[in-house]
Amino acid sequence: MALDWDRREAFRYLGLRGSAPDAATARAVDEAAEALEAAIEPRQVSRRFPLKRDGAAMDIEGLRIASRALAHNLEGCDEVYLMAATLGMGPDTLIARAQAAGSMHRAVALQAVAAAMIEAWCDAVNAGLRRQAEARGKALRPRFSPGYGDFELSAQEGLFRLLGVQRNIGVTLTDSLLMLPTKSVTAVIGIADAAAACPTGCEACDKANCAFRDERRNEP
Amino acid sequence: MSNFLERLGRERLYCDGGTGSLLQARGLKGGELPERWNLTHPDALLDVALGYFRAGSHIVNANTFGANRLHYPDPAELEAIVRAGVGHVIEARRQAGREGDGYVALDLGPTGRLLKPMGDLDFEEAVALFGEVARWGEAAGADLALIETMNDTLELKAAVLAVKEHTSLPVCATCVFDARGKLLTGGTPESLAAMLEGLRVDALGVNCGLGPAQLAPIVKRLLDATSLPVIVNPNAGLPRMEDGRTVYDLSADEFADAMAEIAALGAHVLGGCCGTTPEYIEKTIARTRDIPFAPPVKKRRSVVSSFSQVVEIGPRPVIVGERINPTGKKKLQAALRANDLNAIVAQGLSQEESGADVLDVNVGLPDIDEPAMMAALVPKLQSVLALPLQIDSSSPEALERGLRLYNGKALINSVSGKQESLDAVLPLAAKYGGVLIALPLDESGIPATAEGRVAVARRIVAEAAKYGIGPEDIVVDGLAMTISADAASARVTLETLRRLRDELGLHTVLGVSNISFGLPQREIINANFFTMAMENGLSLAIINPGSAAMMAAWRAFMALTGRDAQCAGFIAAYGQMTGSLFSGQAAASTAPTAPTGASAEGTLADSIRFGMADRAALLAREQLASGADAMAIINGTLIPALDAVGRGFEAGTLFLPQLLMSAEAAKAAFAVVKEALSGGGRAEKGSLILATVKGDIHDIGKNIVKVLLENYGYRVIDLGKDVPPETIVEAARRENIRLVGLSALMTTTVPSMEATIRLLREACPEARVVVGGAVLTKDYAEQIGADHYAREAMDTVRYADAVFGEG
Repeated sequence: MALDWDRREAFRYLGLRGSAPDAATARAVDEAAEALEAAIEPRQVSRRFPLKRDGAAMDIEGLRIASRALAHNLEGCDEVYLMAATLGMGPDTLIARAQAAGSMHRAVALQAVAAAMIEAWCDAVNAGLRRQAEARGKALRPRFSPGYGDFELSAQEGLFRLLGVQRNIGVTLTDSLLMLPTKSVTAVIGIADAAAACPTGCEACDKANCAFRDERRNEP
Repeated sequence: MSNFLERLGRERLYCDGGTGSLLQARGLKGGELPERWNLTHPDALLDVALGYFRAGSHIVNANTFGANRLHYPDPAELEAIVRAGVGHVIEARRQAGREGDGYVALDLGPTGRLLKPMGDLDFEEAVALFGEVARWGEAAGADLALIETMNDTLELKAAVLAVKEHTSLPVCATCVFDARGKLLTGGTPESLAAMLEGLRVDALGVNCGLGPAQLAPIVKRLLDATSLPVIVNPNAGLPRMEDGRTVYDLSADEFADAMAEIAALGAHVLGGCCGTTPEYIEKTIARTRDIPFAPPVKKRRSVVSSFSQVVEIGPRPVIVGERINPTGKKKLQAALRANDLNAIVAQGLSQEESGADVLDVNVGLPDIDEPAMMAALVPKLQSVLALPLQIDSSSPEALERGLRLYNGKALINSVSGKQESLDAVLPLAAKYGGVLIALPLDESGIPATAEGRVAVARRIVAEAAKYGIGPEDIVVDGLAMTISADAASARVTLETLRRLRDELGLHTVLGVSNISFGLPQREIINANFFTMAMENGLSLAIINPGSAAMMAAWRAFMALTGRDAQCAGFIAAYGQMTGSLFSGQAAASTAPTAPTGASAEGTLADSIRFGMADRAALLAREQLASGADAMAIINGTLIPALDAVGRGFEAGTLFLPQLLMSAEAAKAAFAVVKEALSGGGRAEKGSLILATVKGDIHDIGKNIVKVLLENYGYRVIDLGKDVPPETIVEAARRENIRLVGLSALMTTTVPSMEATIRLLREACPEARVVVGGAVLTKDYAEQIGADHYAREAMDTVRYADAVFGEG
């Protein structure tokens, strides 16, 4: 399956802060992309739920979440989409193989390209949900994932249950609530009545010291 | 004792349908744990089960799908939930008057966790948590265990073993396939059937995921692959969203029509999953009742499998790569002693690339703990390689450790005709499944004649039959022994192969290269003997797939015997090759020379600068050959070249992939130069520990730092990922460590980094701690008590130089 992923995003994960890649880096990214395109199996599951809110406390079909940041993001929403998306086990296997073969440069390039690909896959899923919402005269808020700001990872278990994440797309949680396959994302997307101007991406998150924070988008 | 097994596979039985949506209609919230309802809403559970018994289901599931320790940490509550769940279905059966032909299934669903090594759930922990539920379920009166909605075959194996080890319940198992006919973890109908038959479940099949129409081709493949009854429990078609709710596209009548086609394909047990209700089952029964039933047919195929691949023994000679075996291999011995699993896995990867179908795994060395190494290596290999494995050991304990953790149906090497061996190995093959390599020798030694070997083979087959192991799961070794000691030995071996095939209908195997011990140019004898053996029926060849001559013999045999359509495989292998394969080889064994003009020293530096590992190794070897001093190469060329790259990286003129390619090239050159250094190689600057902290599974960052540190002359004790603080402290104390590097990628795992530092301070106050990872900052690092924050890859190297430079 071909994803419309962003090469610049992969370079950013490799630590290129906007500068041109050297030849080896560009080649490593191209090779990683070729291997990944054959190995990824993008899958997703998403569903609409009613949202009950009381200040920073929210309830999605019995899943209780306390998060100021998420509450702020869901201001004015009485419904949400929950989504989970994954590229499958392929990227993890390729990265493990590269590391086992002692080829760390391939491992980091695969890691970076796969990260850009899962981002693109989430964008594609998100766009599909946006079209559905717009058909109902609604607009979507930027997607917000457990782990952003004070939206704790402990929400993952309930979210997994509501969406049947493991049974539907084969993603599992570790003891510490990380997802496997690693190239997987879960998110809450607010559904609001009117298309109010909403921040998206890094600036919607208050984690100012994140190593992957995209500074470009913060420019006025 | 119920009569379930007397009926399974002899008549069409029916399962129940969905439970979730029925409970939700009675008020269960999507985010709630449904099994707790066994205690809080007994009437609802009774009602659902009663509905299915009245609809005609024979097998009705207890509401225990997610009832396990991970979701219900309180064992008393969990036991009550399991017992109540089974009890409700027993009561429903009584009320429906179905005691004579209704069966209560203990329902076991996935844990929601991924097993090691890709995940963090220990295999034995999974066995234990399925096992306790199985025990309670049996005690409460369940008639069978139905393991369902599985998509990871390793977890499925843990569940099957758990039920078998803790109860005497019949075991049925169904998995979720996608529209491409694959499990979400890559398995196929054929690989699933191979593993489950090996584990001796009573029935297997599919559930959930798809509707009956989409499942039909998968059901067909399962029926073709297995000799067991096949269960088909589809969803009510495909889901779609309607006003925020999931609805399925088939009505009960449409579902029943589609199930009639599944019945006509030959499936033995029919039921439903998500979206189906008692009405769906009732209509399915009415619609399929008169379709003739055919019991399962014995397939008698010889297959081994991994989690995703099946290799059939018989249609063509199968190649077993022999290189993961320390006998006579110094590098592998060193890797085993240093616990360097990656080096062993790399050996596996290269054999896969050369064309091996199966990999032999033998880790027998007198001074290592063979069972423990087998238990570590088998999962590690399977995390990166999809080839089936041959678990090879003379220690039954090592065999068992490997077979237990093996995800699939393995080749087992080996059993002999000695009573002691039969008694030790046959039970393992019976329990875990596998194709057994049988050595036709016994207490009186190796028979000198083919007649004698065939007789021992006959006895092994008879003994195996006592354990329910069929001849299709036995491959007999023809016992190749060198012709340099006995000129008749090749003839005896070939006759043995032929007679085993013709008289006993058995598959055969050889360690082919044993034929030429003690002779020069062994490949000549090996390759020709290999061809003769294949012509005499050899099914399985244990060889070095990196040998061009052996692979050429195999490819030629395939082409010459019509097993390579249009010679496509042959042309793919040799079509691009110019000149003769054999003279080409000879040319490749003399090293090409460096381009003229460039000074040799400069060229080596360039190869590091540009990250050309092969060239770096070659040039280092040349410099040594031309008399250069090893230490001079290291200090005069390799280290300055590496440093230049490191400075470029720090200045932002080149980037991580380039830095790592240079590091890999330098590593290749160091490896060559180290061999030349007498007295154990280059002096180490010091030893340090690297680990990704407990709870975190991201290890790329740590591995990057490791490669760089090793290049700069440090000995790295790599403790891996998800490492408990105690393990790190223990290693630091044992090795008297001065520097520990910790990595964490997630905010949520920084507390375990902090806990590790705290523990280190108490136990090893002299050890410094450097931390790194995406979520950390300098301030954050100070806050959790680290001595140093490494922002990027080279920082740790610089910090280590500072720490160890202090002297």
